[in-house]
Amino acid sequence: MIQDSEKALRRKRIIHTIMFIILIVVFFCFIFPFILVVINVFKEKSDIIREPLSLIGAKKGFTLANFPEAMVKMNFWTVFGNSLIITVSATILTLLFSSMTAFVIVRNNWKACVLLFSAMIASMVIPFQVLMVPIVSLYGGIFNVMNHRITLILMHVGFSLSMATFMYHGAIHTNIPLELEEAALIDGCTRWQTFWKVVFPLLAPTTATVAIIDAMAFWNDYLLPSLVLREKNLYTIPIATQAFYGTYSSDLGLIMAALILAMLPILILYLFLQRYIVEGVTSGAVKG
Amino acid sequence: MNKNSMSYKTSQFLMFAGVSTVLFCGVVIIPFVYGLYLTFTSWDGVSRSKPFVGFANYAAAFADHDYWVALGRTLIYSAIAVILINIVAFLLAYMVTSGVKGQNFFRAGFFIPNLIGGIVLGYVWQFVFKRAFAALFGVSLLGTTGPNAMIALIIVSVWQYAGYMMLIYVAGFMSVSKSLMEAAQIDGCTTSQATWYVTVPLMRSSFVQCLFLSITRCFMVYDVNLSLTNGEPAGKSIMAAMHVYNQAFTYRNYGTGQAEALILFIVCAIVGVTQVYIGKKGEVAA
Amino acid sequence: MKKQVSMVLAAAMTMSMVAAVPAAAEDITVFNSKMEIQTQMEETLQGDYSSTSGDKVTVYYSSDTVAAEMSKVYGSGSPYTVAMVDAKDIYSLAVEYGVDLSDQEWVANTTQAISVDGKVLGFPVCVEARGLIYNKTAIEDITGEEFVPENYKTLDAFKELLETLKEGGMDAPVAIMKEDWSLAAHYLAMFYEEREDVDAYIDALYAGEADVAGDARFNSLMDTFDVLKENNYAKDAPNAAVREDSEMFLADGDVAFMFGGNWDWAVMAEFDPEGEYGIMPVPQNDADEYYTLVGGGSKYFYVDNSENTTDAQREAGKALLNWFVFDEAGQDFLVNTCALVPAFSNIELEVADPLGQSVKAFADADMLTPSFNYMPDDHYAKLGQSMQSYLANEIDRAGLAQAVVDYWKSTTPVEH
Repeated sequence: MIQDSEKALRRKRIIHTIMFIILIVVFFCFIFPFILVVINVFKEKSDIIREPLSLIGAKKGFTLANFPEAMVKMNFWTVFGNSLIITVSATILTLLFSSMTAFVIVRNNWKACVLLFSAMIASMVIPFQVLMVPIVSLYGGIFNVMNHRITLILMHVGFSLSMATFMYHGAIHTNIPLELEEAALIDGCTRWQTFWKVVFPLLAPTTATVAIIDAMAFWNDYLLPSLVLREKNLYTIPIATQAFYGTYSSDLGLIMAALILAMLPILILYLFLQRYIVEGVTSGAVKG
Repeated sequence: MNKNSMSYKTSQFLMFAGVSTVLFCGVVIIPFVYGLYLTFTSWDGVSRSKPFVGFANYAAAFADHDYWVALGRTLIYSAIAVILINIVAFLLAYMVTSGVKGQNFFRAGFFIPNLIGGIVLGYVWQFVFKRAFAALFGVSLLGTTGPNAMIALIIVSVWQYAGYMMLIYVAGFMSVSKSLMEAAQIDGCTTSQATWYVTVPLMRSSFVQCLFLSITRCFMVYDVNLSLTNGEPAGKSIMAAMHVYNQAFTYRNYGTGQAEALILFIVCAIVGVTQVYIGKKGEVAA
Repeated sequence: MKKQVSMVLAAAMTMSMVAAVPAAAEDITVFNSKMEIQTQMEETLQGDYSSTSGDKVTVYYSSDTVAAEMSKVYGSGSPYTVAMVDAKDIYSLAVEYGVDLSDQEWVANTTQAISVDGKVLGFPVCVEARGLIYNKTAIEDITGEEFVPENYKTLDAFKELLETLKEGGMDAPVAIMKEDWSLAAHYLAMFYEEREDVDAYIDALYAGEADVAGDARFNSLMDTFDVLKENNYAKDAPNAAVREDSEMFLADGDVAFMFGGNWDWAVMAEFDPEGEYGIMPVPQNDADEYYTLVGGGSKYFYVDNSENTTDAQREAGKALLNWFVFDEAGQDFLVNTCALVPAFSNIELEVADPLGQSVKAFADADMLTPSFNYMPDDHYAKLGQSMQSYLANEIDRAGLAQAVVDYWKSTTPVEH
């Protein structure tokens, strides 16, 4: 019996070692593209074209010049600021509106609630391409409200509401006991106060998950922002990357620098918040 | 105040869901309906006039050979990508929940591609497939043949989404209680048997969720398609979404483009709903 | 002390007011669709021009097609004040959205402007022509004798030269751009353009009555294309060739020929601005009749007339167009900074770049076949795909001819 368990233990250790090696290899494959970009950002164009895999440029050697040039040409700080403002505002608004909506839907069986919730669920399978043309022609051609950050922010919120409401709906349904609210109501709270003082704080884990998923989606979205924001000083990072690539595709060194600039902010953030982000996404999965 | 009165209900609804309803209708419902109207016009996207043409756009969409080729291509791509994404994600999830050294590090690491947008990812990989592949194997994976470009797209999709789906499977693994696994092992199951016969059936909702997410994302792929292959070579990697975009904006057939987008929606809805329905129906009551 | 400060302040304020007087200070946007000159446009128009004219100019470029970009800007109600588009877009867009420029002074100085119904709508940006670009030095290094393009008018003579180059160590002397616009709008289109009555032929194509597979021009040009294809450095993966790489190889003398036009100079100059290059007509065996470059006015500016642009902005836009033609700095910008061949007779600056010089020489000798400007929007995208398939040997010549026939039958004629 003791021998048996020792054998099992040894077997387990071997399996773990094999898995560890596999994971290391897969991990290397996952970050290989990033490594390649990082190597090449310190080279000159002709060196990149001739030897993309060498560590240091053969002809012109090591250079740092790509970064400052790309930063200026990409108008990095403006673009970064736009992305930040848009992502933060859209995320906060989505959290507020979707949690409120989910609350009223879960707690009341009114026709309007059922109708709204069904429409939201149904809308989750609508590809953006279906709405792309009408949105451009409605809000551009008829209402003429394009080229404002606020337009994009509200559109982002409108698009992400269904998924967010759906997630809050699940969380309120399963995790918030009705008795708690009733107690608060008896204590003299209005529904509004009950929601903000009792329910919303209890939804913190869902809030974190929704915030992470939506913030990533807003930060990285390309097609919608590219249709709404057409002025250079309003560009977000994905639009600026795309425009930059179109203009300077001949200058690979600059392109590498631009790609790194586009990735860096979120990677730095991830370095600090990765535990919460991973946990947030994981815990969101169970309820969803 | 009477809690059953219409005015109470209305004010409550508006207070909590008013803004949401307006925004949701504003960007989803109204454009959807307006889009339906556009399919009956021959608007070129630029002109001030929108002539009414009846069902001509639908006829044009059905006759548009390139569209159906692109749609078929999207279906094949989605099928392969979805299967690979979920296999890779499931295996990774299994390994990073097995108690292996550094599993939290790996979880965080595999998630990284999700942080970065499709446009940027596409350009990064374009560089890898064009330059590094040419340097390593003497031939570029992009711009050679259509299937090669599709392989490139599938590789990037798997790489991009596997980490996210892995986390959902991780949640699934963790939600199955350890005691069930132990009970199975005491009954004589090996670890892998216990995983296969006990854990996996209980993770059905994780599968439903992952499949739904990966199917819808693959179906609507655009950003990566644009920046990685841009439809090349010879238009052999144009996906449905890109075809719709080209039809509407590049060839200025807004009406036809919109009609084709609606067909895409219907296909997407059928696939998505069927998959969720089948998944939910067989769910194990745990 | 206080008094001094206030005096300085007052002086500063007066100065700034004086400085502000001549500037009507309009914000205008310019859309540029020539990728090669985007950096130059940004630097000069957003820099020097904005500070001297007082109008704040912002230059945009899009990696999308011109047609897609324009339909998005009109769809979203934010058109550019001045937009650089292709000739066909003047007919499809500017007729509805272009300001009538007939009263402008520059109209008298050019033969290339586009007019519709008696109104001048398109301002010609430059003259461009396409043909075979050669690297003179690279050829002479191998042959050991002076390279005279006229000696290689025929395909047979050209083939012999390619053999000599290969024997001399240049494994693959040709580069072919796989870009759809180069293959379809520039190369394939030559077979419509090299004939007396182009319009009649295009009409026949629309009607499905043209025999493309048996057409002499089509076959002659494709014979040459087959030779180029055979000697392409990227023969094994022709559609993976990167434009900038090809231009670098040509500039460095790794290849001797590339089908292109004088716009390629802007990129080639980055690699070797001192090299000796030129453009020659595409060699064909019935050479004498078609020993010409193909081209003419290329890229046109129009000024937006929609309600989203104010009158003052329109005037600022017109002022910019005048600056290109009549201001010394504007002329210098076109000819020297952007290496363009100007379309205006009053600009006397010598064209500096070797490709531009070739184009000018052919134009002056009246050896320029005019390009056909009324292709449908999707012509180059769709037939570009067919040309890419042909380039990769996925379809044969009969298949390509069929694709051309099918395409024209499926599309609606462009009014002009």
